Amino acid sequence: MWEVVKSVLAAFLGVQREQQRLKDFEKGNPVAFIAVGIVMGAVLVGLIVLVASLAAG
Amino acid sequence: MRTLLVWLAGGLTLVGSSQVALANGWNMPVGVSTLSGEIYGLHMTIFWICVVIGVVVFGVMFYSLFKFRHSRGAKASNFHENTTVEVIWTIVPLLILVGMAVPATATLQKIYDPSEAELDVMVTGQQWRWRYEYLGEDVSFISNLATPRAQINGEEARGEHYLLEVDEPLVLPVNRKVRFLFTSDDVMHAWWVPQLAVKQDAIPGFVNENWVEIQEPGIYRGQCAELCGVDHGFMPIVVHAVEEEEFDTWLAERKEAAAEEAMGIDREWEMDELMERGEGIYSSICASCHQPEGQGSPPAFPALAGNEQLISDKDWHVNKVINGVSGSAMPSFRNTLNPVELASVLTYTRNAWGNDTGEVVQPAEIAERLEE
Amino acid sequence: MAPKVPPQPTLEQSSTAAEAGHGHAHHAPPKGILRWLLTTNHKEIGTLYLIFSLTMFFIGGIFALVVRLELFQPGLQFVRPEFFNQMTTMHGLIMVFAAVMPAFTGLANWMIPLQIGAPDMALPRLNNFSFWLLPVAFCLLLSTLLMPGGGPNFGWTFYAPLSTTYAPPSTTFFILSLHIAGISSILGAINIIATILNMRAPGMRLMDMPLFVWTWLITAFLLIAVMPVLAGVITMMLMDINFGTSFFNAAGGGDPVLFQHLFWFFGHPEVYIMILPAFGIVSAIIPTFSRKRLFGYASMVYAVAAIAILSFVVWGHHMFAVGMPLVGQLFFMYATMLIAVPTGVKVFNWVATMFRGSISFEPPMLFALAFVVQFTIGGFSGLMLAIAPADFQYHDTYFVVAHFHYVLVPGAIFAILAGAYYWLPKWTGHYPNERLSQWHFWLSVIGVNLTFFPMHFSGLAGMPRRIPDYALQFADFNLASSLGAFIFGFSQLLFVALIVLCVRGGKKAPAQAWGDYATDLEWSVPSPAPLHTFETPPTFERPAH
Repeated sequence: MWEVVKSVLAAFLGVQREQQRLKDFEKGNPVAFIAVGIVMGAVLVGLIVLVASLAAG
Repeated sequence: MRTLLVWLAGGLTLVGSSQVALANGWNMPVGVSTLSGEIYGLHMTIFWICVVIGVVVFGVMFYSLFKFRHSRGAKASNFHENTTVEVIWTIVPLLILVGMAVPATATLQKIYDPSEAELDVMVTGQQWRWRYEYLGEDVSFISNLATPRAQINGEEARGEHYLLEVDEPLVLPVNRKVRFLFTSDDVMHAWWVPQLAVKQDAIPGFVNENWVEIQEPGIYRGQCAELCGVDHGFMPIVVHAVEEEEFDTWLAERKEAAAEEAMGIDREWEMDELMERGEGIYSSICASCHQPEGQGSPPAFPALAGNEQLISDKDWHVNKVINGVSGSAMPSFRNTLNPVELASVLTYTRNAWGNDTGEVVQPAEIAERLEE
Repeated sequence: MAPKVPPQPTLEQSSTAAEAGHGHAHHAPPKGILRWLLTTNHKEIGTLYLIFSLTMFFIGGIFALVVRLELFQPGLQFVRPEFFNQMTTMHGLIMVFAAVMPAFTGLANWMIPLQIGAPDMALPRLNNFSFWLLPVAFCLLLSTLLMPGGGPNFGWTFYAPLSTTYAPPSTTFFILSLHIAGISSILGAINIIATILNMRAPGMRLMDMPLFVWTWLITAFLLIAVMPVLAGVITMMLMDINFGTSFFNAAGGGDPVLFQHLFWFFGHPEVYIMILPAFGIVSAIIPTFSRKRLFGYASMVYAVAAIAILSFVVWGHHMFAVGMPLVGQLFFMYATMLIAVPTGVKVFNWVATMFRGSISFEPPMLFALAFVVQFTIGGFSGLMLAIAPADFQYHDTYFVVAHFHYVLVPGAIFAILAGAYYWLPKWTGHYPNERLSQWHFWLSVIGVNLTFFPMHFSGLAGMPRRIPDYALQFADFNLASSLGAFIFGFSQLLFVALIVLCVRGGKKAPAQAWGDYATDLEWSVPSPAPLHTFETPPTFERPAH
């Protein structure tokens, strides 16, 4: 699971090692990646909202 | 290395020329309000960040294009990934962005704090003019484009402030925090004066807030910045910033004049007086749609000259001018014009261009209608 | 993309094999006009899309030149403000919906099946239908110019209530035409997704696909997500205009700001719909002419996905001056700034691909290089626009006009031109005339920059957009812009001449028209590509590691 999260994080940054990518695509379960991706997308939005509301006081 | 030097020289030239540009009106004005300088600073900071990144990226690119040309016998190497480099060029921009977001956030917080304002001005957008109301002072007026149509059509030489001049400027005091309340009577407009660094949409049914504290007396010009119909390009804004004492005197005078006007409602007016005033109001407010000779431009804007319904039905006519026509471009003038002005323009349109009804519409009867 | 061993021998997959009687019962195609009306062949439909798009590009261009003509000097010389507003509006609508989007769909039709080794699109009849909706939609839209009261005059963003209560009577037709164009886009997107997910050559996994296919896959999902929002918002307009509702009418309790939220929720992903496939094209061309593999293939895919996801949460940066709460303002500012990161990754990757390559400057490469530089300039001004306090000064000025034209003209349109030059040998069997293409390139680059660079200055100096006449201090900038626009506009006629010449003859192109480093599957079929290709799926071979 941590591997999936790490790979999705890498995808968010737009950076990934070729070996890791190959490993993900050989062994990984696409559904897991999509699910984690959606969750992380929501987390990202939540994070920006949090920072914005902190900054807005 | 030599390429790098060339780029550096290029960059420095750019710095030099941008200083020149600044003087010639090629750049955002530094402005005269408490926040405009800060906004200008943000603009220049992000601009220079972009220039530096651009010099580096395009520098590497053009170096490669020059150095690794096929025609010079360059052999392609085989690398196609490098995680370290990729992480670096992801993290570094991220840090630059955070560095940029911090001052931007601070400025934004200041813009969003209109508290402790000493003067409230209601700014209402209308197709195609601005109405200013000094809240609690009983002073309000309309500000129209003053550039003659003959200049626009090229029949006259264009003046220095072509399209950026109005019949009545907004007068504001310096060194006082002025709060603006923006709204609109019809479509969306946007009130923008670059020197004051204020741009805010005026939206029907909404009231937006913004504020300014001008630091230097002077005349500052701007324009409507949101497409609002045919004459969007012809609704300028002029702000006349004056010293505090001068402003107080001006406001007192305007108050007195407004009170005098209010007295005039009850007296009986002559046809000639009303026609004269009416003609002025018609040309500044009605003529942009209904045309100077009342011929209109159907189907959107009906003709007034020779309009059977208008001539035969005074009640209908008065009603349309006071309340507008919902679902069309005809606004309600109930709050825009005072009873004297309404009566003048009604009298004028009922008697001009061969509409000779001979009827005089008295301010008193309009005042009564407005009460209903 | 990874170097692959093209399936050998290539000729056997061509239509000649099929027609020679491999047991496929092909009906004789109808002749003349019917052939084009009824065609279900992805190459013919692709050609139709491209011709349609080019035609509309010229019509939209003529509208732009009317605008530039009027703005050549201060004062009203050639058109009245009513007509000027119709021209700016129609220019935007035609260029976005009828020129750029169909051009990418046309390229997708032609190239996606070829690049993934599929015999055709997954849903060929739907494909035909999606195309023929477009001429209907845009004939309807153009006809509004002749209706009483004129055509749409409220800007391509058609903000309510200017586009509802105060709109000309033809607005209902405008809504109908956008509906039809929207249906066409959605059907096209469904077709592309179905093709990519189901019809790849055996052995080709998602992460083996060329980037043009990847970017289109993501673009197609964006289209399916946002076109219904556009359909929703124009339906609400339709109701407001014709059935007395008050969605956007404040006097009836409606909310004009709601319109903008809905519009930009569609509109911002739409911007990426117009640029992501461009990324794909450029990512194919740069490695080919650098004779080197694309740097960071996986990062490129991830960056496109990241841009697509972020594009859904940044719409508010179009509305900084509308009056949002501070938190909203900050949210949209931060989210927008984040987009610079994956976009930057893409530019860095392209530059790294060129670094220590072996670069030559054929016409597709010239346009791709111009794309990288000019798109990046548009990206920089985009970054400046993201800074909300500064945006109060930039918003709705010519600075914004300069920004989005930099990402759309030398951005999207240069990428389309680059793609056309790149694939013309595959389409026609001939190389485009090199000297003529160089003229086309340099005139376009000079024209584009002369047109749009001065707009940065006029915007910063205070010129609002969409005005038919302007104050005297903006005169020099506008003069330059108008000159540039005419240079750019007329130099596109060279492109038409080039295509005609290329179809009729020219230097013969082999199957691998651009050498050994263009290794995607389209280069394994002969040039010109026969009508039917990959009827027997090719075997996709991954590069050895």
